[in-house]
Amino acid sequence: MKRLLIYLFCFLLVSSCAKEEYKYGLTSTDILQPSANKDKLKTAEQYIAVLYVNLFQKAISTKELIELERIVRSVGDKRLVYELIISSFLNDPEIILPENADMRSDIKTFLEASYQRFYIRKPSELELEYFRNYIENNANVTPEMVYFSFAISDEFFFY
Amino acid sequence: MKRRKFIKTLGLTGAASFMMPSILKSGTFGTSASNGFADHVVFVGFAGGLRQQETMMQRYLTDSQGLNGSSYEGNIMYNMLNGSSPTDKIVYGTDPAFGLPGSNPIPQILAQTLETQGTTFKEIQAAGYGHYSALVTLLSGSKSTTQGLRRRPAMPTIFEYARKHLDLAATDTWFIGNGLGNSTPLLNYSNHPDYGAKYGANFLAPSVAFGNEGEKHIKNGRVYDYQQEMSKIYEMQQFLNKSYNLSARDFGGVENTPEEKEDIKAFFREMFNKKASNLIARPPVSDNNDMNTIGYACEVLKWFKPKVTFINLNNIDTCHANFTGYLKNIHRADHAIGHLWNYIQTQIPEMADNTFMMLTPDIGRNLEPNNVVDENDWLSYDHSDANATRIFSQMVGAGVQANLQVGGPGNQIGDITDSMLTVGEALGIKNMIQSEGLISGDAVSLFDRI
Repeated sequence: MKRLLIYLFCFLLVSSCAKEEYKYGLTSTDILQPSANKDKLKTAEQYIAVLYVNLFQKAISTKELIELERIVRSVGDKRLVYELIISSFLNDPEIILPENADMRSDIKTFLEASYQRFYIRKPSELELEYFRNYIENNANVTPEMVYFSFAISDEFFFY
Repeated sequence: MKRRKFIKTLGLTGAASFMMPSILKSGTFGTSASNGFADHVVFVGFAGGLRQQETMMQRYLTDSQGLNGSSYEGNIMYNMLNGSSPTDKIVYGTDPAFGLPGSNPIPQILAQTLETQGTTFKEIQAAGYGHYSALVTLLSGSKSTTQGLRRRPAMPTIFEYARKHLDLAATDTWFIGNGLGNSTPLLNYSNHPDYGAKYGANFLAPSVAFGNEGEKHIKNGRVYDYQQEMSKIYEMQQFLNKSYNLSARDFGGVENTPEEKEDIKAFFREMFNKKASNLIARPPVSDNNDMNTIGYACEVLKWFKPKVTFINLNNIDTCHANFTGYLKNIHRADHAIGHLWNYIQTQIPEMADNTFMMLTPDIGRNLEPNNVVDENDWLSYDHSDANATRIFSQMVGAGVQANLQVGGPGNQIGDITDSMLTVGEALGIKNMIQSEGLISGDAVSLFDRI
């Protein structure tokens, strides 16, 4: 019995000296908005060149770029003239767009690819949730319309 | 005094509210707009450098090419000015099937000249010798134009004053440019911190937007249904913009509402359709870019019925190297103005009797020629001496006294900075413009110089 008490005392002595580890269940994460570092406005040429690559998966020719830059300067409302240009791009048979069925069968993958294509970043959970709900609740929303909204959004004008 | 009587007879004095402070819908606090005497203003930057000798003085070839005799004198702007035409060496018309090039003068459009219908300041003072600074002065009433090309005006333009103080939409104000040169696309609003893009005008350069580039890159755009498609695209865009949270929103130039944008898109489609059917409202003779610009300006007026429209012409600037072309383009600019005024009066009932039109050249041209000769061995003229600061101004329509001539060669009455303030008076915002203190101290409404 005496020996048992000595062992118990020694055990308590050793265990009481062990360093406690506190675990809060946190994981590391970015504290800035994913778009926080984009503060440089694209020139008309940069905007058109990037848009063209995003939609056609190939580089625009210099001649077309010059013509389109002149079109942009010929209209005072830049957002309006970009909408006209995007409408024209999206009506081009060479446009490369995901199928509507593919988008709806895997909305998360479509959105992650869209954010990567236009914004060169991953979407936040809030962004995924909004778009997932929006696409599911609006049967007539197509990949073309989603691409259009990305192309005229503020973030796409900056890099 | 006659003008005041005219306004009074129209019952438009509104004296009680003339200086009463008010908060406008736009959020501005200041002197309220008095009643203007015009519902619409069309302001024409009349063309790229005109010598007084070939315009108001009607000297044709006598003060430029060393030809003497009354047959070489005369009026080649007979829609705008009174006076008989020259009778010899006619080169400014159209080319006949047989005979000398340019020997068929273009028939007069207006039954009465604008000189008879309105008030003409026969010689006023320009601000300088360059197109860009002169255009800035015409639009802003300010001579603070040292910022140079590729920069927006430093002081507010007439569009910004009108939109801010009359609470106008973007589609109520238009700048129709003859092209993209001379930084023209930057003149639809200023960099002034109290004004700027949110009060800017819609700019349009039809020669590009509806020219080869427009045909190729925007004509065939898909048409989206607003309710079913575009409104949803805008909803998604708004969500994306909230995520980005950009505070400065003027990077996109002048901004129209979604409804206005749809209206402009419909206008574009209509223009491409009309162009394909050769139905653009161009003047009867339409063989240079000024004529094309005027044609599309007529279409803008008919579609939008804007409150303020500025139209820029400049083909006359060919005078640097081609005097014959210069004479042709003066004749055509006059033809264009005759067509424009006739179109407003006969084809746009909403603007027929309530539109004020003002015409002022940007600059004049030199007294002495350069060394360049054209196909007729005639000498050409630049714009860099005192003669290039001699211009004129003409106004017609609502609130304007008919058949009145003011000043003349050697008797300058008026200044180029007056034009913007005069337009402001027609719109009923002259006092507000003056109270802002951003225009030239020399500027006086031309009505006050009568």
